[in-house]
Amino acid sequence: MIAKITYAFREMWASFRRNLTLTAAAILTSAIALLLVGATLLIQRAFDNLLVQWRGDVEMIVFIRSDASPEQISLVDQTIRSSPTIIDTEKLAYLDKAQTYEEAKRIFVGDPVTLSLLTPENIPSQFKVVPITQDPALVRSLSEQYRSLPGVEDVALAEDEFQVISTLSGFVRTVTLVMSLVLLVVAVGLIWNTIRTAMFARRREIEVMKLVGATNWFIRIPFMLEGLLQGLIGAVVSCGGLWVLNSAWTNGVASFKPGTGISSLVVPSSYLSGVMLMILAIGAVVGAVGSAIAASRFLDV
Amino acid sequence: MIRLENVTKRYGAENVAVRDASFDVAKGDFVFLVGPSGSGKSTLLRLINRQERPERGDVWVAGRNINEISDSRVPFLRRNMGNVFQDYKLLTNKTVFENVAFALEVIGKPRHMVSRQVPIVLDLVGLAGKEDRFPHQLSGGEQQRVSIARAFVNRPLILLADEPTGNLDPATGEGIMALLDEINTTGTTVVMATHDHRVVNAMRRRVIQLDRGVIVRDQERGVYE
Repeated sequence: MIAKITYAFREMWASFRRNLTLTAAAILTSAIALLLVGATLLIQRAFDNLLVQWRGDVEMIVFIRSDASPEQISLVDQTIRSSPTIIDTEKLAYLDKAQTYEEAKRIFVGDPVTLSLLTPENIPSQFKVVPITQDPALVRSLSEQYRSLPGVEDVALAEDEFQVISTLSGFVRTVTLVMSLVLLVVAVGLIWNTIRTAMFARRREIEVMKLVGATNWFIRIPFMLEGLLQGLIGAVVSCGGLWVLNSAWTNGVASFKPGTGISSLVVPSSYLSGVMLMILAIGAVVGAVGSAIAASRFLDV
Repeated sequence: MIRLENVTKRYGAENVAVRDASFDVAKGDFVFLVGPSGSGKSTLLRLINRQERPERGDVWVAGRNINEISDSRVPFLRRNMGNVFQDYKLLTNKTVFENVAFALEVIGKPRHMVSRQVPIVLDLVGLAGKEDRFPHQLSGGEQQRVSIARAFVNRPLILLADEPTGNLDPATGEGIMALLDEINTTGTTVVMATHDHRVVNAMRRRVIQLDRGVIVRDQERGVYE
């Protein structure tokens, strides 16, 4: 068993060094593809921070003062539900203080000063209102009515700019996703080609191995490890790139005035490390898939 | 040890390589397959080590119908067989020792077993002292000895040789035949394809003669004709 493992790693390494140019091309392509995948995820997350409170067609938010009594809250609830022709009462949602605080953590991710002023006690709770009507004026007049209710701190309306950002976010997601998918396919192809070349260079050796009774897996595994290593190195390179890009972006955003909304376009480092782990996994899969296809197809020499 | 039952093999629709071939090789036998180029000798060997599968008929090796074993079991079948070729098929970037050791390493034998077995078999084939040479530093006869050592190092039940003397001068060929004979006396069944009259006539062993894929003669202690 140990002899087999040493053999596999020795052969993998020898082959890896033999085709240095092809290997470099395969690694570089997978790195760029994976960088795009990672960037897509990060951009998406940043947009989500900005849009999190308006998710699900919410167009109006009624903020309730943190010191409002339960009776006042239920009065607001009844008032909103009393216009079922304008408001979609099925989708009406109430977020208590704890839930609102969780949401605030995402909105103010790049604005720790504001976040530090909020606690689960002093934060307002909120009603998320989804209108049925297409008429903005009707929604606006309702908002004036809610604002005068006791216990209501403020009523916020989804403004046009959020619609623009939402559309933009969807567009960016589609473009980056398509580009990264295309590049991932290219990366698989390049790894496939390096492994195929490596196997062709060693076809006599493989022929002898088959004749003396080496199993196909024994022959295949060093080549598959080689592809896996290429994918993983590409992933490590792209993780480095992601980290550099994200730090530069976070530092840049910090210099913006707080409260402009730009400060929401930052991802927490825990999310970044999650994305990196995912990139490493995708890189390993890309390498393994590319080399596995090559190793199975070209084993009959 | 080896039994073929009405085996037919074609390459493409027209090209019949072997037609309705049947024979039986007992354990410890030494058999020559003779006939001109293209008569189907190599195809028979390739049917026995399952590089080819017959179109019709069955091939039995060591009591098993090898057409019925799955592809994943084929490597284990082949560990019972050594293969020797006209062009040696040595790995040029490996030394004599490494070429022979390779055959054990790739079937997962532990290192201590490799380092014990390889010198024994190199001594048997008369290459003691040349372990660190590379194939291009050896004569043709010596290269063929390396290839025989590689085929025999795992002590197979069967040795398949395809024109092992084809590239060698008569004197060197005689040496190779003496070596194969010696291996045969250890109990290993030897099947050798050849069109070399001299070696067949000198050995006087069983001869199976092929003509355009058909067995036309199967004779104990035969000559080439």
